[in-house]
Formats: sequence, structure tokens, C-alpha cells
Amino acid sequence: MTPVLEIRRASKSFGSHRVLHDVSFAVYAGEVHALVGENGAGKSTLMNIIGGIHRRDAGEIMLNAEPIDPLDPWQARQLGISVVFQELSLTPNMTVAQNIFVRREPTSALGLIHWRQLNDDARALFERIGIDISPTELVGNYSVGIQQIIEIAKAISFDAKVLIMDEPTSALSESEVDRLFSIIAELKQQGVAIVFISHKLGEVLRIADRVSVLRDGEMVGVVNPSDSNQDEIIHMMVGRSLGDLYPAKGVVSDEVLLEVEGLSHPPLFHDISFSLRRGEILGIAGLIGAGRTEVARAIFGADRYSRGSVKLAGIKLDLKSPRQAIAHGIVYLTEDRKVMGLFLSMTMRDNIVSSSLARFTDALGLLKHRAIADESLRAIKQNDIRPRDDLLSMTSLSGGNQQKSLLAKCLSANPKVLIADEPTRGVDVGAKVKIHQALRDLANRGIGVIVISSELPEVLGLSDRVVVFREGHVSAVLDGDNIAQADVMRYAVQ
Amino acid sequence: MRRSISLFDSSRRLRSSLAPARLLQNRSVILALLILVISIALSILTPAFLSSRNLTFVITGMTYDLLLALGMTIVLLLWGIDLSVGSVLGLTAVVTTMLLQDGVSIPLAIGAGLGVSALCGATNGFFVAYLKIAPFIVTLGMMSVARGIATVLTSGYFVSGLPDAYKAIGQGRLFNVPYMVYFALVVVVILAFLLRNWRPLREAFYIGTNPEAARLAGIRVALITLGGYVFCSMMAGTAAIFMTSRLSMGFFQFGLGAELKAIAAAVIGGASLRGGTGSIFGATLAVFLLALINNGFVLLQGSPNAQNVIMGGILVIAIMIDAYRRRDLAED
Repeated sequence: MTPVLEIRRASKSFGSHRVLHDVSFAVYAGEVHALVGENGAGKSTLMNIIGGIHRRDAGEIMLNAEPIDPLDPWQARQLGISVVFQELSLTPNMTVAQNIFVRREPTSALGLIHWRQLNDDARALFERIGIDISPTELVGNYSVGIQQIIEIAKAISFDAKVLIMDEPTSALSESEVDRLFSIIAELKQQGVAIVFISHKLGEVLRIADRVSVLRDGEMVGVVNPSDSNQDEIIHMMVGRSLGDLYPAKGVVSDEVLLEVEGLSHPPLFHDISFSLRRGEILGIAGLIGAGRTEVARAIFGADRYSRGSVKLAGIKLDLKSPRQAIAHGIVYLTEDRKVMGLFLSMTMRDNIVSSSLARFTDALGLLKHRAIADESLRAIKQNDIRPRDDLLSMTSLSGGNQQKSLLAKCLSANPKVLIADEPTRGVDVGAKVKIHQALRDLANRGIGVIVISSELPEVLGLSDRVVVFREGHVSAVLDGDNIAQADVMRYAVQ
Repeated sequence: MRRSISLFDSSRRLRSSLAPARLLQNRSVILALLILVISIALSILTPAFLSSRNLTFVITGMTYDLLLALGMTIVLLLWGIDLSVGSVLGLTAVVTTMLLQDGVSIPLAIGAGLGVSALCGATNGFFVAYLKIAPFIVTLGMMSVARGIATVLTSGYFVSGLPDAYKAIGQGRLFNVPYMVYFALVVVVILAFLLRNWRPLREAFYIGTNPEAARLAGIRVALITLGGYVFCSMMAGTAAIFMTSRLSMGFFQFGLGAELKAIAAAVIGGASLRGGTGSIFGATLAVFLLALINNGFVLLQGSPNAQNVIMGGILVIAIMIDAYRRRDLAED
């Protein structure tokens, strides 16, 4: 049986930097083939070569045993290779059907668009993957999870033989992931070859028929999930053992640091109460849209709330802005580092001190440049950000190092309470372990840490206690070492 | 990997940026070279260029534009734009001179004029920073309103008969150079220092780069933005004081089209319509460059009616270059 898509000995360099070396890779019809590796291992480059975005320096791409040479994404799609990128390409102000068939609208002889045909085509497409989405609804009215599915529908509408998905689950809640996986299973039945790129090894093992591992631009090996496990794959990815993915839990004091009582802001959240103790990591679990981020932002003073109170060390706060929150020692690490967290076009140094400029200002309001430079170098060392050059632009850093810079920025403000919203989204395993360790170190120093995460294993592995959110309410507070994933899920959905 | 200039740079980096290879990448150096080339060319083409009369004319005329360009640089830095500076100049000119004509004391009249300009700026800033209305729309409205009030107040007539002591502000000279040139240079130096070292202005770079991230980083986005618009309008007000005093009159059409020149100079000097960048020295050199081009045009007998065409053309080219520069950055 010949593979649908085969890459033979592909290599690619950017300048003197070799990103892919002699990589071969094959995917068969009806197969889900996962591609894993740390950030910078070459996954995206490999995908971009297949998808027509980059040109390979050497090697061959074979589609059904015929050599092909896609020059751009459009051509690749015409050939039957569709890529679903991490960043969605949909236009929120257009309807679902308009988005899917953009540039390919069915037209009459006069060149006018045949709207009914367009919507019927979209409906047929959704029937094919077994999901009910209205073709005439504006895309912006759907959640990110549904938008992801629309993106996939668009990709297969090109009659895709090969569907490549880059981190398709990074913004999805657990139930949305389930739905996505059932769609993948459906497409698999129909003989589509699927390349699934993900950092989430649990998902990879669940969905993949085979797993290819890239490391430093080379193919390390292909394993079969049924006779492998997470540890082995991690070992292949990083070339070393990582030890435990989660740091040992610490000793939590009895002293309550932050107390949230009856916080409400209908319709987003209602009557939210929980407390955070000194030295504790408190996990907040729940589905996307359960109100976790909204509550975090309200505590941080970024958004208003209508009722309830927030007390820090017993004193009631009435925060009107993030500035006041930071001044009180409450710091928020945003879930979306590129849009709301970092100043991407600025240097690492500018970013690291952006929340803590007050510390480096004299009585006249003038800044102490030398102290700022020292602080940024110290923070880079402490958080192990690479490369260790704080005058690099933020855009030059990998996702993991950007995320570490974001954490460094928060820590530079000397928090008493750190609210970390999705602290490891889109980062590789190595950076993940380091961020987990950094959060635990903070707690061990007496700082109260709140971790919001959509990855259940992360919440459970990291937290001393877990607050579960459901539809804007606190549905449970779970304590103890052995909280089961199933329990949390039950409180999150029922 | 792209290295770039931090907001908080030590002298070590400054020296390395003066290395010959880097020098030509520096916008201010390019602008200075252009100024040099054009000056040499003009002095060869026409002897009138180097006459002290002409040079004083160029430098004085450029002072008004410079004040406006400095204000515009701060507003652009904040990812804003101020289309109303020319009109605010006109309104301040009319208000100040009318008060003087009515016998109000000079400090009071100047204070009232600057107060009016500050009020225009505060209105712009309030709508932009607190009501989150697009700066383009807000300042376009102010452009029309301020010019309209100036017209109504004067019914379109000149305001003259100003006291001699007031005229001395714009007409007085030290070493044959008008006072206002010194004033503008002092503003340039102080502003450049503050832009580099004063926290609110450093924070303006963050605001212009990503306003929401700046707010979440604890920066007073709204207050600093408001301050930027007030400063920009007051620069226009200051220019109005000098202009009316120098020309011994107020007129509702003073500053007509000045916003275009100010935006062009700020962008050529290093500001971007997408916020987050801006240079005081760059804007100063750019104003000088534009003044030279204008002057050359006049000296070489170009039609004055075509000047707007040239200024508009330069503005579009400057913005085009800025757009390409941004795109290169984004592709990095």
C-alpha cells in the first residue's frame, strides 16, 4: 500500500540555521499520524513545506506516489493538501458559508453569487462531518471551539486527501476536544489522511494511529501508541528524562491571603466564593466559558464586578484598575500572551520591566536605566529564558521563552498573589516543566498562586486544592492529593 | 533573530550604534545627510538661499511647524492622531488677539489662549481615552469645531492693533535669531530628555505598542493618552502665540493645513501611524528637511499653489515607507 503523502529526505535551512535535516515521513489514507516535538524541533517547518508556504532545500514530496511541488498554500489545497493553522483564518463578520467558500463562491453566468447553493454546499459539508452548524450565522457569533470546526470544514471542502492540523486543541475545552475527535474519526472513516500536530501527549496517544517524533530538525523515530507510553515519547522528544512532569507539592500555611466572597457580575459569573492561602497553589478548573478568566480579571481590577468582595490579608480591596491591583501585590498572567500579555515588537528587557516600572523610578519620575538593565538580566537568569540576550525582540523568541518572559514580567512586580491564566498554553514540554517548577517555587516562598488551566492533568498535578467552575458558578472545591480527573469533569459539566 | 533598541538603554549600546555600519541605518543620520545635500544643492543653484534674510525666514517659519510636529510625535507615539492642531492654532490665535484688542493684559490673554488650546486637547483626549472613540473621528470633529468657532468669533476679519510688548515676543531677537527659535530648541532638548527618561513618556511607548497589554501591566493608559492630546494642542496654542505676535495680528485661517505638515514631519522623523515609535530629534530634522524643500521650491520660482501638492505627496510617500517598514518587521 502506498502512502497518500510521503516526504523523502527533506532538508531546510534558514540562513545558517538548519531547521530540518534529512526528514522522511509518510501518512496513509485513513490514518491519523501525530507529529510531536518540542518547540523549534521543526514541526511547523515540515508542515509549511508540505503546505506550500516554504520551499524545501532538498528532498521530495510525493502525493499518491507522484512527485509534487506546491508553490503556495492555494496550490497545495488544489492538490488535496489542506492545512489548518493554529491561528484561525476566519473573518468574524462574514457568515459561516461565506467563510468556507471564500474565493470559490458558486456563481451564475452573470458572475452573481448563488447564495442558496453556497449555503446548501456548506450544510452538506457539515452533514459529512456530522455536526450541526448554521451556514448563515456570522462566524463571530460562534465560540473558538466551533470556529475551529468551521476551519476544518473549510479545509476538507477542498476535497482534501491530506488534512494537516497544527495544535487544533490548544484553545478548546475538554468537551470540544471530544467533538473534534469524533469528527477526526469520521474523516478517517472516509479515508482522509490526517496529520495531527500537538503538544498534548495525552490527546496524541488517544487519537493517533502512529506517532512521529522530531527533535532538533531530525526524525527521531515513529512509534505505535499501543506499544508505547507518554514517558517514552517525552524521552524521545527531549533526548533526556524529564523526571516528574509536576513538582512535589509544598507545605501550605493556614493563613488566608486572598478571600473572594460572593463575587457576582451577571450574566458572566454568580456568587463566586473561595479563598487562597499563603504558599498555596489553587487550581481553577472548568470548561471554556465557565467564567474562570472573567473572575480572574475582576479580582485583578481589569473588569468591574457588580456585587461581592475581595479581601487581601483580611483587608477589603476596591480595585478600580490593574494598576491598583499591582500596587497591592495582585498580579495577573494573561491567557493570551500575544494579544494581551506581551509587547511583541519590543525587546525582552522592555517587556520584563513593563509591570514594575514604579520600582525603578526616582522621586521626579525619572527612570533608572541601569537598575532596569540589571533587573532584566536577573529575571532572565532566574527564569532561564533563552537566549540570554535581553535586547532581542520578543518576536525572535520561541513560544516557551515568550511565556517564560511573561512570567518574568509578572514576577518582576513582586506579587503577593499571582493569578496565572493558562500559564503553559502552547509551550513545549521542557518549558512546561520549568514553568510548573517556577510556580511551585513561588508558592514555597509564601506567595499565593492561582492557576487557571484547561488541561485537567495540569490543574491536578500542580494544585493543592481545586475550585471547579461551571457556567459561572463554583460547583465544587476539591481538596487532597488524590483528586480524580473524572470527579472534576463531573462537577465541571453537570 | 532581531535585536532592537530597548527603551532602557545603557550608554554601551549607544556607542555601538555609532559604529559606521550602523550609522546609515539610523534615520536621524539619513535625514541629516539629506539636509546637507539639499542645502549644498540650493546654495549652488541660488545665491539667495544663504542670505541671512532667507535663512531667518526658513528657521522662523519652521518653528511653528516644529512645535506642531513635536506634539504630533507624542500623539502618534500613543497610537493616536490629531487632525485638529491647525484649527486649534487658528482658534488660539483668534482668542488671544481678541482679548488683547479688548485691553486684557498680555499674560492673561496668553494664559487664556493656552487655556483654550488645552481645553481643545482635553476634549480630544477625553473622547479618545475615556469614551474610546477613534482619534481620527474625534480630532476631525475638533478640526471643524475649532475652526468654526474661530470664524464665528471674528466673522472672518483680521484681528489687529496688538500692543507692542506682545509683538516683541515674536519679533524680538537675540544674536539676530528670533526668541521663538531658542524657545523651540529648548522644548526639543527638554522633550527629548523626558521622552528618554520620564516614566509617563516611556510608558507611552508601551501604550502605543499594545494599549490593552499596557493597561494590564498597570500603566495609566487613559490618563497618559489624555495628557498626550493636551500637550499636542498646547504646542499648537504656543505656535499661535508666536505666530500672532510675529505677524502682529490674529486670523481665523492661521494654521490651515498645518496638521498635514505636522503628521508628515513626525512620520518622516520616525513616528508610525501604528503607534509605539517616535523620535524628537527625528521629527526636528524632518521639519527642517521639509522647510528646506519648501524654501527651495519658492526660491526656484515654483508656483506657490503647487506647494500643497508637494507636501501631500511627501506625506503619502512617508506613510508608504512606514507601512513597508512595518511589514518587514512583521515578516521577521
